[in-house]
Amino acid sequence: MVIENETITSHPNPKDPPRKQSHTVADAAKNDTLLSPRFKSVAAMAGWDEEALLVASLVVEDTPDRQFKRKKRSDLQNFKTPPTNSRRKRRAQKRSPASIPVAVLDLDEDGSTSNQESEKKKTESKVTAEIEKKTEDDEIDTKGSNSSPAIPCIDRLREELSCAICLEICFEPSTTPCGHSFCKKCLRSAADKCGKRCPKCRDLIRNGRSCTVNTVLWNTIQLLFPEEVEARKAVSASSNSESQSKSPARVSHYNVRTRIIDALNSPESESRDPERRSHRNTRSRSFRQSSRGDVSVSRRRELPSQDEDAAFALRLQREEFMEAFRSPNEHGNSLAMARANLRAMASRAVNIRIRGRAE
Amino acid sequence: MMSNSMMTMASGGGGGSGGRGSVGGGRSWPSTTSVSASGKRIQKEMSELSIDPPPDCSAGPKGDNLYHWVATIFGPPGTPYEGGIFFLDITFPSDYPFKPPKVVFKTRIYHCNVDSDGNVSLDILKDGWSPALTISKVLLALRSIFTNPAPYKPLVPGIAHLYLADRVKHDELAAEWTLRFAR
Repeated sequence: MVIENETITSHPNPKDPPRKQSHTVADAAKNDTLLSPRFKSVAAMAGWDEEALLVASLVVEDTPDRQFKRKKRSDLQNFKTPPTNSRRKRRAQKRSPASIPVAVLDLDEDGSTSNQESEKKKTESKVTAEIEKKTEDDEIDTKGSNSSPAIPCIDRLREELSCAICLEICFEPSTTPCGHSFCKKCLRSAADKCGKRCPKCRDLIRNGRSCTVNTVLWNTIQLLFPEEVEARKAVSASSNSESQSKSPARVSHYNVRTRIIDALNSPESESRDPERRSHRNTRSRSFRQSSRGDVSVSRRRELPSQDEDAAFALRLQREEFMEAFRSPNEHGNSLAMARANLRAMASRAVNIRIRGRAE
Repeated sequence: MMSNSMMTMASGGGGGSGGRGSVGGGRSWPSTTSVSASGKRIQKEMSELSIDPPPDCSAGPKGDNLYHWVATIFGPPGTPYEGGIFFLDITFPSDYPFKPPKVVFKTRIYHCNVDSDGNVSLDILKDGWSPALTISKVLLALRSIFTNPAPYKPLVPGIAHLYLADRVKHDELAAEWTLRFAR
């Protein structure tokens, strides 16, 4: 999945429509990975519910990354006004697509906001299909440029590059320390069900659970057998959302994660849950805004970094602030109010920081 | 045809979809992936066997159940089993490449590694199984115990003892059984 995203985002033409799709995917992934698993586990220990997590993620978005101080400084100018919902919407409507430096990041914003949501639903449901189409195109391209209609030893190659477990062309091959390659999935289930020994030579595999994809081999296979890879991709893509939601081992976050993922994936759940949807949209919008003009920042955020730990303390502190803020007028107040306050506070903190740096 | 058995298998590998089926709008397809993995693999082996069968062996599904095969091994020349045709039942478990298939001799055979019920003591069909092994390799291994019995890991100690003590007598008996049961 990650590999796909990267190959697509590195496409040279920024106006390409599929790129839009890929970014909605990336956004979804970002929303999901915004909170590090460690943070979530701590949050679970602290007894935070999903709402608190969502609010916390809002804070996270407004938290500048320390790693990118220099790059971010220009971005931070955007934060000077407290980013309330309505204001951002107005601003978004004012903006014409031509005036935006990086056209990719705000494709959903410039349109009418009423259409936006239904459109988004559509795009999200189409995302997987689009990606497949895209990769197909890529592969056809490479195939055409290589112009290798018949590699003489293609059958030998097929034999060599197939996984001994599923007997098909290795899909996302993973290589054992002893040098044998299998599909990542196959190797993982072999390690689970048959013990951590290489299926070929019975050597002990120490990292049988955390197997990684052999990228060189995988790319080679994708070049040599585009059709097979495509077929398997279609299968795995269809079951992807399901397996994604299954993958987290920690049961305590299972519900939160699946609910978020479902909200991202299925249009039905969105329509059922308008409140959460609006949260998410504001979240993704503000995120896009914050990362405008700096694609690398947004991409780097996907990876769990040490910086997250540093930001973690700040986040907790802010959460405490928020709680303190919320408690006195809890009765007549809505969560939206608290959130607005929180935002204002975050932007104030940012401003203070800017001032501190300027001195 | 195999939907029933498939669904029960699915609960092992791809379980968990039932609990939250309401969210996905009744999507039940992901649970079938783990099943078709074994089915696909068996189908693949079937086509490979038909293209390049191991010597003196054949194998294929019994009826329309992909998980239940029947195989034949011709007694290798130069052994007391020469001229015999030995039928075997092969049953694939639902998580097949990860668990060994069950192989049972349907034809009686005088062999120290095959008991009177047809059970085979073969390492690779038990602890020595590896998901990289195929039925073709299993058949080859079975064929090799025809030529080289393993008397030190016997299933029928009497035959193993005779094999070690009086090879000629053993071979005579084996040939007689082959003539009697395997033709």
